[in-house]
Amino acid sequence: MTCPDLTTRIGAMTMKNPVMIASGVFGYGDEFLGLAPYGELGALVLKTVTLEPRRGNPPACRTAETPAGMVNAIGLENVGIEAFVRDKLPAALTYGTNLIASIAGETAEDFAACARTLETAPVAALELNISCPNVKSGGMAFGIDPEASAAVVAAVKAASGKPIIAKLTPNVTDIVTVARACEAAGADAISLTNTFAAMVIDVERQCPLLAANTGGLSGPAIRPAAVYRVFYVARAVQVPVVGLGGIWSASDALEFILAGASAVAVGTALYADPGAAHHVVTGIADYLVRHGVPRVADLVGRVRLRG
Amino acid sequence: MAGREEEAARDHTPGSARPRYRVLAEVMGRASLPGDHHRLTLRAPEIVACAEPGQFLQVWCHPPEEIARPPSAALLRRPLSISRLRPPGHLELLLRVRGVGGALLARKVVGDVLDIIGPLGHGFDIPSNLQLAVIVAGGIGLAPIPFLAATLVARGVRTVLLAGATEDGRLPYRVERRAGARATVPELKALGVEVDYASEAVEGVVVGRLLEARLKEFAAPGTQIYAVGPRAMLRNVTEIVNGRLPVQVSLEERMACGVGACRSCVVPVLGAKGPEFATACREGPVFYASQVDWERLRDDLP
Repeated sequence: MTCPDLTTRIGAMTMKNPVMIASGVFGYGDEFLGLAPYGELGALVLKTVTLEPRRGNPPACRTAETPAGMVNAIGLENVGIEAFVRDKLPAALTYGTNLIASIAGETAEDFAACARTLETAPVAALELNISCPNVKSGGMAFGIDPEASAAVVAAVKAASGKPIIAKLTPNVTDIVTVARACEAAGADAISLTNTFAAMVIDVERQCPLLAANTGGLSGPAIRPAAVYRVFYVARAVQVPVVGLGGIWSASDALEFILAGASAVAVGTALYADPGAAHHVVTGIADYLVRHGVPRVADLVGRVRLRG
Repeated sequence: MAGREEEAARDHTPGSARPRYRVLAEVMGRASLPGDHHRLTLRAPEIVACAEPGQFLQVWCHPPEEIARPPSAALLRRPLSISRLRPPGHLELLLRVRGVGGALLARKVVGDVLDIIGPLGHGFDIPSNLQLAVIVAGGIGLAPIPFLAATLVARGVRTVLLAGATEDGRLPYRVERRAGARATVPELKALGVEVDYASEAVEGVVVGRLLEARLKEFAAPGTQIYAVGPRAMLRNVTEIVNGRLPVQVSLEERMACGVGACRSCVVPVLGAKGPEFATACREGPVFYASQVDWERLRDDLP
């Protein structure tokens, strides 16, 4: 067996491999043009867009590096859905792989309106960002409430025929309940996790480093906590799970897959290594060969629990 | 006003439309400089061939092969100005040790290899009709200046460098003081520019004073002011010039991606439709002072 099957399906979307770029790190795609052949990846999740353009949080600082991670509070700065479709999507399309639009709003109807705008756009799926910790209204306010999460999913489901991925926040007591609610409302997949609510204090100035005071932690620091949540969510839902949170290498991605993720997304690692996701793809293929597993789908959720 | 046309026509081509490379660059030379500064000479012909003054590199601080595993510290690349080109294929970086990333880079020795991405960002505009360039730089703000000054001199532009530091020891270069003569910095003078240097404990003020003293002399068509240094200094320079000459400022910000994707390093600018944010890494780091929304720009960078 020399060429394992990496094909992965999420609803009606077929990916040539299970590796995506996570929303937020990749901008609208054109920013990274030329730094790696991103068309070789399974899907690219573009930066979250809202109905209207958003300026985001104040600058200086929006990002702080932390041990094995970083805390960000960008605040969903984006060009708005119209400019996204008109100015940004054409460049991202040149990659020639699945594009996933990440959308957000302050009401379920905002999400639905975004979805309607994207109905004829060349995106393979919609990711619902109900988990951003850095906005005052919308964002995580949905994701911490199973009913509100379900309402967003249902509104988008009614508005769009595209596969819907609900992206969950880890900042809840019981993420499984939120995941089940999203599935019941019609989500075609569950993606987790978004960043962990976090704070960094500049002790000399005795004030937070981030202009928004608090932010969300990403990077390798959160990986074990994200794997844990993926493990429990994957056992509780029938739809595919997209696992993310601190994936740097193929080994990291395989943890998520064994825990139950059908696909994975690489985020923060891209800032160090623009080719990180590509190494994950080749590393997964090598692993499948080494372990005599013909298809990556055969590995999903196959962690053998001890005792 | 001189330079308005250039300002209006400023090319906002996204950085990604320009050539940039991720390369493994060998350290060809290193030097420890005053003030805990270090100079690394790298071999990076692809970057040298297309770099412009004011552009920067994103530098991975660890050995290249260690990128396969996440480090616990210095996870992100560090943005460093291209300090000088040494054609045909070498470039110099000037760094000051402040955090863990700088400390890692300062320990690099000849023969080490660095994983770098560049050239990135929008550098200094050099209008074709430029007659006189006045460079105002303070402290580590001097990092990109040799590249800029050498480029200007090579184009036959008379170049005056007003340099300042809170104290001589904070400068990456040796200061020469002789009785009866102005203080100067021989290494910068060797670039073929006129150097005026002063130091004063208050950050951002001293070079402004040098500029103020000579502003009348500079105020002629075909002049550009280039300013690099602490925010207070840039603000001071902009206020002194007060729109009489075009001023280009280089704005440093904390970055993550370095290519305009993450929106970490935004600075407030005055866009066509009002206030907006532009990224220091892609639309910048160099902006015309007239584009910057100084009221919203923060001076106290953590």
